[in-house]
This record gives sequence, structure tokens and C-alpha cells, in this order.
Amino acid sequence: MEIFYNILTATIISGSLSIILVIAEYFFANYGDCKITVNNKKEIVVKGGGNLLNALAENKIFIPSACGGRGSCGFCKVKALDGAGPVLPTEKPYLSASELKDNIRLSCQIKVRQDIKIHIPEELFNIKKFKAKIVEIIDYTYDIKGITFQLLEPNTVDFKAGQYMQLETPKYEKSKQVISRAYSISSIPDIKDSIQLIIRRVPDGICTTWVHDYMKLGDIVNLVGPFGDFYIRDTETDIIYVAGGSGKAPIKSMIEHFAKYQSTRKMTYFFGARTTKDLYLTEEFQEYEKTMPDFTYVPVLSAPSPDDGWTGKTGFIPPYFKDYIRDPLNTEAYLCGSPGMIAAVEKELVNLGVAKDKIYFDSF
Amino acid sequence: MKLSPEEKRIMDKMQPGILTVDGFLGNDTRNLHEILQEDAETIESYGYTAEDIGKRMKYFTERSKEAYEEPILIDQKYLVQQDIWRGKVVCPFPHKGLYTKADIHLKNIENNIEISWTPLNIHFIEEHGFFEGKGSKHRIDPETIIKALF
Repeated sequence: MEIFYNILTATIISGSLSIILVIAEYFFANYGDCKITVNNKKEIVVKGGGNLLNALAENKIFIPSACGGRGSCGFCKVKALDGAGPVLPTEKPYLSASELKDNIRLSCQIKVRQDIKIHIPEELFNIKKFKAKIVEIIDYTYDIKGITFQLLEPNTVDFKAGQYMQLETPKYEKSKQVISRAYSISSIPDIKDSIQLIIRRVPDGICTTWVHDYMKLGDIVNLVGPFGDFYIRDTETDIIYVAGGSGKAPIKSMIEHFAKYQSTRKMTYFFGARTTKDLYLTEEFQEYEKTMPDFTYVPVLSAPSPDDGWTGKTGFIPPYFKDYIRDPLNTEAYLCGSPGMIAAVEKELVNLGVAKDKIYFDSF
Repeated sequence: MKLSPEEKRIMDKMQPGILTVDGFLGNDTRNLHEILQEDAETIESYGYTAEDIGKRMKYFTERSKEAYEEPILIDQKYLVQQDIWRGKVVCPFPHKGLYTKADIHLKNIENNIEISWTPLNIHFIEEHGFFEGKGSKHRIDPETIIKALF
């Protein structure tokens, strides 16, 4: 019994101290206004006490983050030059030894309690948060949807074909918090007042479950972007594209962009799928073969069922490359898919003579 | 045993709707210590360790990649197929690491036991001895997986 009372007493004392600390912080930890200097050129003043990721976002500087600042994705890295305080145990697991040496920090874990100086990549200054309305939902396959978002505020966007946006999933029955996930833009950069994303259902995925089972026309959501360095390079080389499933999204943006300007570049798109049930936008891409004489669309099925009546190409994609690449040294490749697929495709392309640094990819 | 604040944080992250729709604890009413301890006792009774199981799962996962999401017969006994999804998931335990979203399906054609796992399951088992809570969508029963893999 005595032990019980001792434990109870200790619990009450520690609980009371915690409550006093919380109350004390609320009333007395007034950090006042703090200045955040970004890249030695932009200064913003925020009320101290919050985290750096949110303070920057409130001032329209958006650092990529997939977990909304909970310290669980490790994406929101910035270089802290001054005033960020010591590295916290919560961020250490996400930082390599060289990043720690370079003062790289997770911005969601930095409390703004004094003036801070940081450095971020220049391109992040162009990223915006958009309020958007869902105006079209297309069922491309049994597990892939195309969703068009009308941009409301700001109402236009500039991006490069191949880049991606982060979609904020609101709180809903299956998720207690707002979640952000990255999806490639599938519409073309010339359309500035809306964007389309192609989203495949991921089993147990919080965002894709909302998209496939809960999202409806007229819903208002937030998008942040554009992000990414997977975009068409400004050259005149031949191009090989390889992507299946929702990996078609960035490739669709690239090819539709070329189709709009009736490109004469030699381009071949290998679309990998398991069965005919997984094919989509086939007729649209076959139309591009008419508007762009040097464009070829090659769907390849890995496991067509006898009922499919499939007479096209089957098996793995890489063995077909040699029939379509005319000059490996004058060829670029754009790949979107799983790491395994990308590794296999890259290996075959390099074997055929395509320069490794001309192979660009967006890995799942 | 009373959970430490760190362990409480881990269990909070394992709840539905935090990292995945269904979370990792299912309808299990045991705390993390109890889940880990009971499963550890089960695998020990079969003469294996969590590391042994994790290594075996890794072996089949890597071999199945040779077939690019199509079924592959491995060692004349295991039919394995992998589905890969877009995105990565983080581990609720406090350390660095993002895990590919994928489902690996294995059928032991000698005893007809079928099991599925994710890359995060492999990490859970190998590094944390965590097979997930009872009723969890990706819970792997230790006894079943031992019979399937060995």
C-alpha cells in the first residue's frame, strides 16, 4: 500500500509540474516578434513561438512537406545559418552526418524563438499555395482517376511539363488530420487556370482513399507547388518515355505539350500494363501519332488474359528498345515508375548506348 | 509495464488515420510491450528470431523483383508476386527511414499457406520484432509466417 501511495504522490507531483510548465509557457514565454532572413535577401517578421515551417508558409514560402509538420516525413529540410537552436532528438533520425555538419535542419522542428537566418533552394520562392475547386472526375480504370482542379486563388499557375503538386487531403472519416501527398500534373502548362492530376488508389493510403471514396465535384481543396526537377529539357534529341499506371501523368503532360505545338521530334512512349483492364487514354495517344508523325505509342502488356484478345506487344518493355532507338547518343529518356522498373530500364538503355546523364526519372 | 512517453508517442502514431488509413494496432487491446513480448515468445518457441524471419522476407521480396510485378516461382516451392504502389510510408518508431508502398504475396505450394507483407512489415519485424496488433490489416501471425517461409 505504501508503494502505491508513493507512486501516486510522484505522479501527482510530476503531473502538477507539467501543468504549471504549460501554463507558464502560455503566459510568460512571449518571444515577441522574430525576424526570419531567407537567403540573405528576404526578411519576414513573425510572432515568435511557432515552428519555422508554418512561419514560412504563412509568409508564402512553401517548403516541401508530406506530413504537415509532424516530423515524420523528413522532407522539410532547410540550411540553418543562425538562431535555430540545437538539433532536436526528433529530427536527428532524418539527418545524415554530412547534413548535420552542414547545419541542415527539419524546419518543422525548429521553434522560432529569436531572429533566424536560413538558406533554401531559390526555386522554392516560386512555389504557391492554391485554393482549388474540383470540377471534373474521370474514372480512367478501376483504380485510376483523373481529377481536374479549377484554380481559385491564385487563379493561374506556371509549371513545367513533368512537375508535381502536393494535394492536401482534408480531415475526413478515415483521417484525423490534414495530409499532403505529391501527384504529378497531367495537364499541359499552357492551361494555366486549372490542372489535372492522375491518382491511382494505394491500398491503405490516406490521401488516395479520400480521392477514390470521398472526394466529390465542387469540393474545395488546397494544392501546393509546383515542385520537381523531372521536366522536359530544352533540346532537340529523340525521346524514349517509359511509364505505366499513374506514372502516365507527367508523360501525358509532356506529350500533350509537344502535340499542341506539332513537334517533329522522334518520340516513343512505352506504356507498361498487366492486362487490358489497366490500359487507359489509348485512343488519345494513338491520335497523337497522327498529329505528330514521329511519335509512336507502344502499349506492352505483361500478363494479358486469353479473354483480352490482345494482339499487341507482350512481356517486359526493355527488349523492345532496340527496335525504336535510332541514335542512342542523340536520345534522352523520361521514366516514371517503381525503383525496380526504373533500374531495369536504365540498365538496358545504357547498354544500348544512351548516356546515363540523359536519363531522367520520377521514382515512386 | 507502464509505457514511457516515447512508447506512448509510438502507439499514437500507430493509430488509424495517422500514417495509414487502418493503422498498425487493429483491435488489439494489449499495449506495445505486451504485443512485442507475446510474439517474441512465439517465434522463440519455434527456434527462430525476428531477424531470421526478416531476412527470409527480404530474400523473397528481392527475388520477386526479378519478375517486375508478375508471379515468380522461387526455389521450386514459393510462388511470389509483388505489387508496387506510388509513395512511401514512414515507420512510427523514432528513426530515419521511408519504406516503399508495396504488397508482396507469397504462397508456399507445399503446404498451401499464403501470406502477404509490405516492406514496412519487414522492417517492423527485423528491427523492432513487431508483427502488428491483432486485427490489423497487415498483422502477420508469427506462427503462420514461420510455417510459410521455412
